[in-house]
This record gives sequence, structure tokens and C-alpha cells, in this order.
Amino acid sequence: MIFVRRMLQQALRVSVRSAFPLAKWMERWTEGAAAPPLESALQAVRTLDDMPGPTAASFAWDLFARGGLSRLHELQLKGVQRYGPMWKASFGPILTVHVADPALIEQVLRQEGQHPMRSDLSSWKDYRKLRGHHFGLLTAEGEEWQAVRSLLGKHMLRPKAVEVYDKTLNNVVSDLIAKLRLRRSAQGLVTDITSEFYRFGLEGISSVLFESRIGCLDMVIPEETERFIQSINTMFVMTLLTMAMPSWLHQLFPKPWKVFCQCWDDMFEFAKGHIDQRLMAEAERIARGEKVEGRYLTYFLSQTGLPMKTVYSNVTELLLAGVDTISSTMSWTLYELSRHPEIQAALREEVSTVLEGRRVPEASDVAHMPLLKATVKEVLRLYPVIPANARVIAEKDIQVGGYLIPKNTLITLCQFATSRDPAVFQNPDDFLPHRWFNKDVTHHPYASVPFGVGKRSCIGRRIAELELYLALSRILTEFEVKPDPEGVSVKPMTRTLLVPENAINLQFVER
Amino acid sequence: MALVTAMRRLAQVSLREFSRRSTAVSWGAFLTAERSFTTGAQPLRSDNKVTVHFINRDGEKITVKASPGDSLLDVVINEDLDFDGFGACEGTLACSTCHLIFDEEMYKKLGPVTDEEMDMLDLAYGLTETSRLGCQICLTKSLEGMVARVPESVADIRQTKDGSA
Repeated sequence: MIFVRRMLQQALRVSVRSAFPLAKWMERWTEGAAAPPLESALQAVRTLDDMPGPTAASFAWDLFARGGLSRLHELQLKGVQRYGPMWKASFGPILTVHVADPALIEQVLRQEGQHPMRSDLSSWKDYRKLRGHHFGLLTAEGEEWQAVRSLLGKHMLRPKAVEVYDKTLNNVVSDLIAKLRLRRSAQGLVTDITSEFYRFGLEGISSVLFESRIGCLDMVIPEETERFIQSINTMFVMTLLTMAMPSWLHQLFPKPWKVFCQCWDDMFEFAKGHIDQRLMAEAERIARGEKVEGRYLTYFLSQTGLPMKTVYSNVTELLLAGVDTISSTMSWTLYELSRHPEIQAALREEVSTVLEGRRVPEASDVAHMPLLKATVKEVLRLYPVIPANARVIAEKDIQVGGYLIPKNTLITLCQFATSRDPAVFQNPDDFLPHRWFNKDVTHHPYASVPFGVGKRSCIGRRIAELELYLALSRILTEFEVKPDPEGVSVKPMTRTLLVPENAINLQFVER
Repeated sequence: MALVTAMRRLAQVSLREFSRRSTAVSWGAFLTAERSFTTGAQPLRSDNKVTVHFINRDGEKITVKASPGDSLLDVVINEDLDFDGFGACEGTLACSTCHLIFDEEMYKKLGPVTDEEMDMLDLAYGLTETSRLGCQICLTKSLEGMVARVPESVADIRQTKDGSA
């Protein structure tokens, strides 16, 4: 029987079958043969040949013909249903192993080695090589990565070191509140809040990097700033497209790669302009005999003896990493709170109890706001900004879930699937911040790790969290947030990162 | 065929052993460099010091004298203690590799756990009721004579398995 299935599977691989329901059914039936039952997994180590997964053609069909690139996070859920916790698929020219079970993700991460690598082939790296740029923290590997990570980690991740940014960030939050008031319609409606939070995110990370303001929340936004934001958007769309396209397709359609490079050019130029301007001003002050004590990260980086090219690329990547992440999470949090007025009220109560009449929170206040933290945790579980993480283990072959995974295989960690897994989280699609307080119902700790785990995890995590807490507690103090009267519900979509598919409109009612 | 498999296996084991050792060496070198950085001229009299006992993964007891104010991760680094993979994120609270286990009485003396530490502890391998992260424990005189056990790591278990297989 198995033999017949295998034969059929072979035959189907070479046929054009994706469009035919019968063929689809047969394909599914034959693929069942490739996944032996779990018990045997414990005895024999299986290889990638034994691993189930869609054929290259059917996956490419899903990606390109059926809009799968923006639904990659949903394809994770389909993958689990169809193949179980591990499957393989060819993403363009790259074969990648998908892992969609918390315990198996833990197995991968515990074997990531001394210099964890996200992916060795990427269009981001190709661009930098092409232009002669250096790599930043997102793209560097090995010792080169470790050196900068060690320098910046001390200033960006240690909770005590991050607290010093609260005043800087609070100033940005004040401008955000003013901007929301300005943008409101007569009924208090602010349309497309994500775009406003985009500018807030960029202003926030800039204030930390440059210790100066760049005007994203002003009445008239500098043109180069708008272009930078647009470049990030387009670059993320093009990232998936350029990676999924095989090289012959690139020759046929050169435009995506060209646009992708143009976006990066704009972003590098934007960062370099601001860095040069800032350091020049500093140099002038020194020349005048004034004392300079910069606490901002760009100044710190420029004093470490790193080549300026390394400073440029790191600052570019830090800037870009602080924008979508903040704007999506802010948008989803307020979206969910507007639909759950009881949780919003409880949260406002928590904030006002801690602030005791003050309107502006400090970093130290946040430690006493467990519901605020649980709310952000829950939002990141439902809408993880990075829906799929990745690892390449270059040092050795590793074993995961009974499979031997050869070294240098790209492993996709399906975090969207695990954080919505009903076997891990009850009512996984519901917004229930209180689930994080329930000590009786514990969930696997690796099911929802939105910032990643370990030495290659998000370096901006603590700054982002502080920024979110300061902004959210302030917004809830100033406004009551209500849903769009039109009652539109918004779903997430993948644009490399997980972002709202449509504009989120919310009412900000003065309190 | 079996011979090939056996050879491949042997090659893998020795390769792993090699990479483990070279990791330890380069890590050790990195840590020593760090040490010359952080411990400057601190003229501390030895009577001011705190005695700390570590129990390593082989069950051996290592006793060191350390300065109050240092974290247990600092102590491991300053004393060049070879606990493979310990303190991977350099005390930035991004991992849980400096996980240590205490007895109940000592655990109570260690002070409160912050949310940030708790989030990382949740991800630790072999978590116990009296687990803490070494980078978050600051030495004081009242912790004199403390015993900190380095828990077995996943790598250890895998190696034992490989060895017996």
C-alpha cells in the first residue's frame, strides 16, 4: 500500500496538478505516507527525505498565484494541520524546514551555538555587499556581530540602563498626544492610527539614537522623513518577493530587486545624513571648548573606534527596526482595548492608582503595572510582529523532533502558529490578558516569544517595551479609546513583518 | 553500510568534542579580556570578601572569594570558571544561561525577582522553585558562604546519551 502511495507521489510531482481538486486530494493522500507515526520517531532518526511538505511547484503556486506572500502566517496554520509540527518547503531557491511546536522550537534554539545566525542567504545581505556597505546587527554574523552586540547590549538591554531614556521618550509621547488631538475629527475619530504610530516609532527611536528630534510629529513632516517611512514599507514588501523569486525570474522581472535597492539607498542616506549632522554639531561644540557628554547611542558608537561604515549600517538597521514594531503593537493594543472596554477600564484604574494624580509616568512606575505588561504580552501573542523567526546552524547537524537536520539548513520557527495553538492556549484567538496571571494553566514558555530568545534576541526589546508602556499609559490617562463607529474588524497580514491589513480607525474621546 | 554509519558517527562525535573544546577556549579568552577591563584597581581587603561555593555540572565544589557588589555572573567571569555556555548574553537579561539553583534558605535571602528576570527564568532549562539568574544576584556580606549549583544543561544530557549509545 505504502509502495503504491509512493509511486503515485512520484508521478504527481511531475504533473501539473495544483489546480485540480482531485489531484490535490490525491496529493494529500500520498503525502500521508511520508509521515510515519510518532512512536517510530523515537527509535530511528529520520532525514529530510522522510519529511512531509508541499512540492516546490504547489508551494510556489500558493505564494505567487494565490497571494500567499501576504498570508504566510496563515500558511503556517495550514502547514500544521496538514503535515504536523514539522514540514519542509522550498521558498524560492531555498529549502527550509518549518518547525511549529514550542518544544521543538526550544530544541532548535538550545542548539543555536555561540554565534546564532538567522539566515545566511538574504537579499538584505546581498544589497549591502553590492553597495559596499558594512553589516549592521540585523545582518552581521560571527565575531563581527558579537563585537557590536556586546557594545550595544549593555546600553540597550540592561533594565537599569534603559530607564535613563524615560524622559526623552516621554517628550515624544507628549507630542504624540498633541498630534492625536490635532488629527481628530469632530467626533473624535482618528483614521489610520498605524501611520501616526509609524511616525511616533521613528521619532522615538531617533530620539534614543540621536538625542535630538527629527520632526516626525510636527504639523508638517519633513519630506525625507516621509520618504524614509515609505522606503521601509516598500522594502519589507520587496524582501519577501525578492527572496521567493528564483534567479531566472529576477532576470525576467528586474524591477522588484531595483526597487528594493532604491529603498535601501534612501534609508542608508537618511541615517547617514542624521548621523553626520549630529556628529558635526558635536565636533563644533568641542572646537568651541564646550564639554560634550552625549548619552545617545550614535555618539557612543562613534566613540568605540568602529569604522564609520559600521556605525552607519548599525544606525540604519536600528532605525528601521524601531518603526513597524512599535506602530503595529501600539495599533493592535488600542484596537483590542477599544473592543474590550472592561479591560481598558481596569487598565486605566491600574495606571491611575500607580500614578496617584500624576499624568506622566516614569520608568520605575511600570514595574507596578502588571496588567499593562500582560496586555502587551497578549497583544504580541495574537499579533507577533515577527510571525516567523529563523535559524541556520552552521557548526553541526542537529536533531529536532526525531529528524536529522543537516548543518546550514534554514529552519523557520513558526511563532505565529505556536502562539495561536489551541493545544497551548485556550481560546487562542481571543484577547485575554488575564491568562498571563493564571498560575494553574501554564503554557509552554517557548510558545510565545515575540522578541526571540537568547543572545540573538531583539536588542531593542527593553526600549520598545518602555516606549509602549509610557505611551499606552499616557493615552489611557488622556483618552477613552472607542472603536470605529463603522465597526470594521481588521486582520493581520504578512509584509515580512505582521502588520494590520487595513487602516485601523479609532475614536479618542477626551476624559 | 553499517561501517559507513559508524564512521560517520565517530567523526561527528569527535567533531562535536572539538567544537566544544574550541568554544570553551575562545570563550575563556573573551572572558579574560573582559576581566582585565572590568576589574580595575579595586583595593579590597580580603576580609571584606564574600565566600561563594559553586557546584559545577560534574558535582565538584569550587570555592572562591568575591567582592560585595559583584553579581554571581561577574564572579564566574572574574574567576575564569569554566561552566560551558554560562552567561551567553553577558548579563543583559536576554537569555537564561546563567541559571543557578540555591537551597531554600539562601533563595529567600536573595531578594525579589524582577519581571524581566522572571520572563527569562521561565525559559530556563531545568527550572526549579529556587532558581535564579546569576547575573541578577548581587553579593553582600549577608550571603557569606552561599552555595550556587550550576544545573545540568541540555548539551550535557545529549552528550551522555551519545556516549552511551
